[in-house]
Amino acid sequence: MGDGLESEKHKMNTGKVAAIASAQTELRTAWSGAQHIDLISAVVTQVFKGTGLDLDDVDFVLNSGSDVLDGRSISNCGFLGAMGAHHKEESRVEEDGLWAALYGVTKIASGAADVGLILAYSKPSESDVNLFYSSQCEPFYQRPVGFDHRAASGMQAQSYLRAHGVTETQLANVVSRRWQDAAQRGRVAIAAVPDAEAVLASVNVAAPLRKLMMSRPVDGAVAVLLASEDIARRAARTPVWFTGMGASMDRHAFAARQPGVLEACSVAARRAYDNAGWKSVRPAVAEVSASSAASELMVLESLGLAAPGHGIDLLDGADVAVNLSGGALPADPIMATGLVRLSEAMRQLSTPGLYGLKAPTAAVVHGAGGVGMQTHCAMTLEV
Amino acid sequence: MSGIPDTYPIDMAPLKSDLKMPYTLTPGRAAGTFLAEIVSRRIVGTSFTKSGTVVVPAQDFCPSNGDAEFEFIEAPETGVLTAFTETEAGLIGLIRIDGTDVDFPHRIVGAGYADLSVGLRVQAVWSDNGAVGILAIAGFRPAPEAPIGAIKPLANPAKPLEVVPYEMTLHYEHAFGPYYGRLFDEIKTNRRIMGVRSPSGDGAMIPPREICDITHKPTGTWVEVAQTGTVRAMSIIYLEFLGQKQPPPYIYAEIMLDGASTRLIHNVAGLDMSRAKELVKPGTRVRAVWRETRTGSLDDISHFEIIDAKDS
Amino acid sequence: MSRHVGIVGVGQTHHARRRTDVSQAGLVREAVDRALSDAKLTIEDIDSVIVATGPVLFAAVNQPEKWVVDAIGAQLKPVVRVTSGGGTGLAGTLAGYYQIAGGLVDRVLIVAYDKLSEGALQYSISTLYDPFWGREFAVGIMGFSAAYWRARMDTLGHTEEAAAMVAVKNRHNAMNNPYAHVKKEVTVDDVLKSKPLAWPIKLLDVPPISDGAAAVVLSSERMAAKSTDRPAWIHGIGYFCEADNAPSRSLLVSEPLAIAVRRIYRTAGITNPRRQFDLVELQEPYTCFELSYYESLGLCAPGEAAELIRSGATQLDGDIPVNPSGGCAGANPIGAAGLIRVVEAAAQVMGKAAGNQIPNAKLALAQAGGGWANLRGVAVLSA
Repeated sequence: MGDGLESEKHKMNTGKVAAIASAQTELRTAWSGAQHIDLISAVVTQVFKGTGLDLDDVDFVLNSGSDVLDGRSISNCGFLGAMGAHHKEESRVEEDGLWAALYGVTKIASGAADVGLILAYSKPSESDVNLFYSSQCEPFYQRPVGFDHRAASGMQAQSYLRAHGVTETQLANVVSRRWQDAAQRGRVAIAAVPDAEAVLASVNVAAPLRKLMMSRPVDGAVAVLLASEDIARRAARTPVWFTGMGASMDRHAFAARQPGVLEACSVAARRAYDNAGWKSVRPAVAEVSASSAASELMVLESLGLAAPGHGIDLLDGADVAVNLSGGALPADPIMATGLVRLSEAMRQLSTPGLYGLKAPTAAVVHGAGGVGMQTHCAMTLEV
Repeated sequence: MSGIPDTYPIDMAPLKSDLKMPYTLTPGRAAGTFLAEIVSRRIVGTSFTKSGTVVVPAQDFCPSNGDAEFEFIEAPETGVLTAFTETEAGLIGLIRIDGTDVDFPHRIVGAGYADLSVGLRVQAVWSDNGAVGILAIAGFRPAPEAPIGAIKPLANPAKPLEVVPYEMTLHYEHAFGPYYGRLFDEIKTNRRIMGVRSPSGDGAMIPPREICDITHKPTGTWVEVAQTGTVRAMSIIYLEFLGQKQPPPYIYAEIMLDGASTRLIHNVAGLDMSRAKELVKPGTRVRAVWRETRTGSLDDISHFEIIDAKDS
Repeated sequence: MSRHVGIVGVGQTHHARRRTDVSQAGLVREAVDRALSDAKLTIEDIDSVIVATGPVLFAAVNQPEKWVVDAIGAQLKPVVRVTSGGGTGLAGTLAGYYQIAGGLVDRVLIVAYDKLSEGALQYSISTLYDPFWGREFAVGIMGFSAAYWRARMDTLGHTEEAAAMVAVKNRHNAMNNPYAHVKKEVTVDDVLKSKPLAWPIKLLDVPPISDGAAAVVLSSERMAAKSTDRPAWIHGIGYFCEADNAPSRSLLVSEPLAIAVRRIYRTAGITNPRRQFDLVELQEPYTCFELSYYESLGLCAPGEAAELIRSGATQLDGDIPVNPSGGCAGANPIGAAGLIRVVEAAAQVMGKAAGNQIPNAKLALAQAGGGWANLRGVAVLSA
């Protein structure tokens, strides 16, 4: 069987690679006074603070971004200076930033490099997010009929709500809580936090999903520094170790996917947990991505944090703190969302006091991409 | 936490850019056959040999597992609505055509959101305005009494369509940011080309930005660069292509303006093009020639002209 | 890097000016089927898939890996896309290499393709340029490539004649390549008299526009024997970059390529490339690049490339055959071209080159690159 789970499999080099620092711009609906390179160079400048390292120590740069969002072909090659990549090894992963982090971990785990800079950014305000997604749909059958990410999300939510009796009010409660958390943590620009009523009153985007139930695209950039064990122990008070990683892409044909669940998310999570040797799944912290309030609940269930239909129970203080950053619903910097989740989980694990956390030792982080969340990446982090 | 440059905040409306690209897409055997047959109001699907999975519209590869061996079938016009939503595009649903195993998305017509339910039987409505492709079916309407149809083998499938014309228009609004904002403001207002001093002090960087591309250190103060410079590299363009801004032949040049350490791309013109190879080379001295109009872009410079030896 | 990742199967399509019988997905499947068959594996044996393509604007489908996953039969496997303009195939191989060397998986399938017939190539690649600064002057990558060649003519003696010899050699070599579609020999005179497009680049200095795909199967050392007893081991691989606005922009020597070469040669124990390599497969977007790469790859000193091609040393029967496959002159599906170089180099050392097998080939160099001529890499393969 080809998914790496047989008994003789390579276990990941556990504990050998850590995330040692991160930096993030504020996430805003529009950074109208800045270009992509300004957001990128800001986080590259900041990420080294407190580590005793600088760009000279970086062996490679991996970045996530989208030509279609940027309006430039091979957009990474116009931003290399801002990325600090000049004369270094560089690659563009045209997927959510968590995949760039996955790549970076394998590179350091191989022993070929010691320090990697992982970047992700986007400025959806400069283009049309709907076109970004609809252009991913197959052009002969799907695009012409108007099938797109919104339609997929709406039908996905419909299946989920029908299967489990979850209500729109419950979805609205999730949204309101996430916006509240995002506003409190100060890394997302929020003018006003909507209450459940305001969420239910927002316009229908893809019935039953209303506008505020969809994740809100924002501009922003994020950088994460990865290091091998020796350097991590010297450069970070609390290195955050990558103990498990998994990814899985579902079928392009939305209708051919299992309805009401996110199968690829479950598969990705299982791979990560197996690599980490997690027999039961009880991390203290979970930072997960989502394209809607319904799919966020589906993600939590697919990650094994709640039984099917019971993702909503996690809202009321469980043993896992979910999306203390607010997650993707109030702030979805497309292509960077998963890396922001990693950055947030790092902060929660290394400075738990700021979040009212006791002594968290493990986190699961999740990133996704594609129409109707077609592809997923999950990682386990431990301190 | 921010660190976003704020050197010279200017309120400039973003630069609008439209990428409008034509395509000729190839659908492949299965979709090509579907598109050819739909013209005759035949809905074609594929039945995969190994698994027996039947899908509509026709696919080359089984969506469940990638199997590539199939037979064409003709599908009935009726089926069941398995999911639906309403977006800006209208009512979209997933339809499971009778006798098939995988749903597909299409429009719902002749009903409102409130009239629909999962499990509702539906029937194809043919377009009457000559729409082609998958939209030859205008959509599916509720048809609760419609009898269950059956799939049948498709004898003599039409030759697959080989090319489908397509167009994609992507619209952008690029923020200037404070550095490009000042650069182009100076170009428009004062006809000056401004750069920033590189951290190492050797010359000015244009276009200006907060962080040096090489050292990743903050750049220095603003400085005007000269309007004269040296051609570093050039090519004579004869190729014609879609989206070109001027008809060939013309000279593409990389120019190092005096005082700048990075190059500017522009045209060298105002010369006898039949002598271009001889007159314009690496090392040729040139000078900016401005247009009458002022738009606040590199286009305000019409071209660079050769500086005669006697002028310099 | 020790010898623990190898290429165990390769495949490519019969490239064509225009394939009207298959969609992008079908093209991908063809290459995948051939590589898997060559590796004596099925898709079930593959742990992870990397898709590499040229810029998405070439062919109207954004994030096309999400579409072609169904065609590959890779549903629910980890699938990710790595992009790097023309060098994307090599960048994809690099990412796959680390997935194995880093202990994440045992077998990776890398597939690269482009269906250039479908789009407006020059227009879409011109969006590589900064929309504010220079895009209106862009002539795809031809404009600046020609301009840099012009500069090298003066300082390095890369004459039009020397470049024409590259065209003659590569087109001659392509005659024997069953996968190439341009099968027409030319003389130096033909090239010199051909229509200038972006002088000094003339029509016969330019590779064709092609539809095509290529695929390789990478395996860990312990799983390689199931596919072949003669894998092409990857002894070194790297991919470097240069900020596009670098003052000393590589007009004369490709700096990122020179850096890649210095590092990878050291890792792979190459001290005298001309003597040690049995062949080189390099990606020449235009004939002038091949001359430049002779120097950057250390096959001759700077300024001696014209002499090298004149001497016949890089011919099939010379002491350092370059592009026995015909290089890009025979077929140039840009997103696949970098991987085709890897495929050809691997096939040579595995003793199964389809066309011009170099006798006793054991050590090969593959080179590829993309972007604004600022993304460049190499791989050293041996069997």
